[in-house]
Amino acid sequence: MSPFHFDGLVWHWPIAIYLFLAGVSAGAVFFAILLKQFRLGDDAYRSPFVQAACIIAPLSVFAGLGILVIDLTKPFDFWKILVFYNPTSVMSVGVAVLMFYQAMLFAWLACVFKKPLLAFCEQRWPRVQRLLKWLVSAEASITGILAISAVALGAYTGFLLSALTTYPMLNNPVLPLLFLFSGLSSGAAGTLLGGVLMKGSPDGKEVHFIHNIEIPIILVEMVLIFTFFVGLILSGGASKIAAFRAIGEGFWGWVFWGGIVFVGLSLPLAFNLFMKASAKRKFSYVAVTAMCSLTGVLLLRNFILYTGQMTVA
Amino acid sequence: MKNSRRLFLKSACALVVGASGYTVAQGPLGEAQQTTKKYALIHDETKCIGCDACSVACREVNNVPEGVTRLRIERKGPYGEYPEQYFRFTRHSCQHCEDTPCVKVCPTGAAYKDEATGIVSVDAWKCVGCQYCIAACPYQVRFINPVTKAADKCDFCKETRLKEGKLPACVSACPTQALTFGDLQDPDSQVVQVLKHTPNYRTKTELGTRPKLFRIGSQDGEVRL
Repeated sequence: MSPFHFDGLVWHWPIAIYLFLAGVSAGAVFFAILLKQFRLGDDAYRSPFVQAACIIAPLSVFAGLGILVIDLTKPFDFWKILVFYNPTSVMSVGVAVLMFYQAMLFAWLACVFKKPLLAFCEQRWPRVQRLLKWLVSAEASITGILAISAVALGAYTGFLLSALTTYPMLNNPVLPLLFLFSGLSSGAAGTLLGGVLMKGSPDGKEVHFIHNIEIPIILVEMVLIFTFFVGLILSGGASKIAAFRAIGEGFWGWVFWGGIVFVGLSLPLAFNLFMKASAKRKFSYVAVTAMCSLTGVLLLRNFILYTGQMTVA
Repeated sequence: MKNSRRLFLKSACALVVGASGYTVAQGPLGEAQQTTKKYALIHDETKCIGCDACSVACREVNNVPEGVTRLRIERKGPYGEYPEQYFRFTRHSCQHCEDTPCVKVCPTGAAYKDEATGIVSVDAWKCVGCQYCIAACPYQVRFINPVTKAADKCDFCKETRLKEGKLPACVSACPTQALTFGDLQDPDSQVVQVLKHTPNYRTKTELGTRPKLFRIGSQDGEVRL
């Protein structure tokens, strides 16, 4: 069986990249909110890490949606998804979540950068300034709703696949949780990588804060992957065949053990623990750890998408 | 301030969980949509000779482009020793499920179950080609029509032969009368009579799809575990 072409394959790698980008966006927003609420306060906009997250979050969700639209067989008819809704369709609910998430994201971005924005609008556009002030007055609500929609978006990427009864490996209740947690860790990695590239201090309080949350997230991810495959194997039948076909010998087995378990989870965990123990964090440590996490999550999305479609119920 | 925000977050979470729970519960547990007719098809594998007259007729009547097909007869075999050799034939086409995975996942409602006939159909205009239905169909009978770029599949000739008051093209074309078509709601119809008197089976019923393509199993072939 060729790893990228086989009977029953419907969705190809663009969907995996879309799922990855949506997860990165949700994760970056999630960590930017935590940084602002618990560490930085109103000065958050000065932090290169928050700035990085604020650039990554909208860009990755736009890029993901762009890929999704291009991947349709009728890309110019994409507006029909926005006009017609079907409440039983995970994709339709997901589109609604995505639209709502983007609206909240931009409202929140305006609140984060309120100081420079208000100063900029002072003389020029009094109307825009009034709108901004109104948004800022609702900042607490916007932050709360955005945090919930970011988590919903992260979980949606998993529900999209787990709704498919055709494929026993995808039709798995652990999948949305796995995608949610790996999405959060990819968002953290993106924020860290972007932050140090934008000259943020690799030993700053933002890095310490994110790394402290990243360690338990990686551990939870490991437990979820373990539960995912043990659950499939114990279910027997086609689920068991699907699990062994995915993580057994072959191209995708290498991707799983080498790319996801070793590079994506074990290395970042080891680096994080090492950085916690050693005195000072350096640019190279933070950047390499973040790149390992991002690679691992991108591989995980492709691995689940392709191997999931290899076995039909 | 802090407490009110916490209260707000809590109630928002409860609202989201409640709303999503309600939508999900509506799907699989809700009653299947009631239709006035329930068209069904029986493929008698003991009569089928694998001549492909059905798939040729289907392609001609429904203008199905080359390279894709709404209907395929799968061959397994040969079994036994010459000259006592035989094949097994299985029909591969839309099963017109009562609990339709394709309709459930379609984001625009382009995949729908026709209220009058119970036939699962595609509104090619509404379809955007996300291919979610193709992935969701456990019978893997859906495809993208290279001309319309929309999802396509067997619709029991709803738009062609049924409109003229005739039987679906495959049923009329079959030289051995291996196909029986009719309304399950009508107790006197031929399908109901055949199903009542002949042992039959359906595939992948364990997925809860309740398909309306019934099969009369061939006695030939190997015993498989």
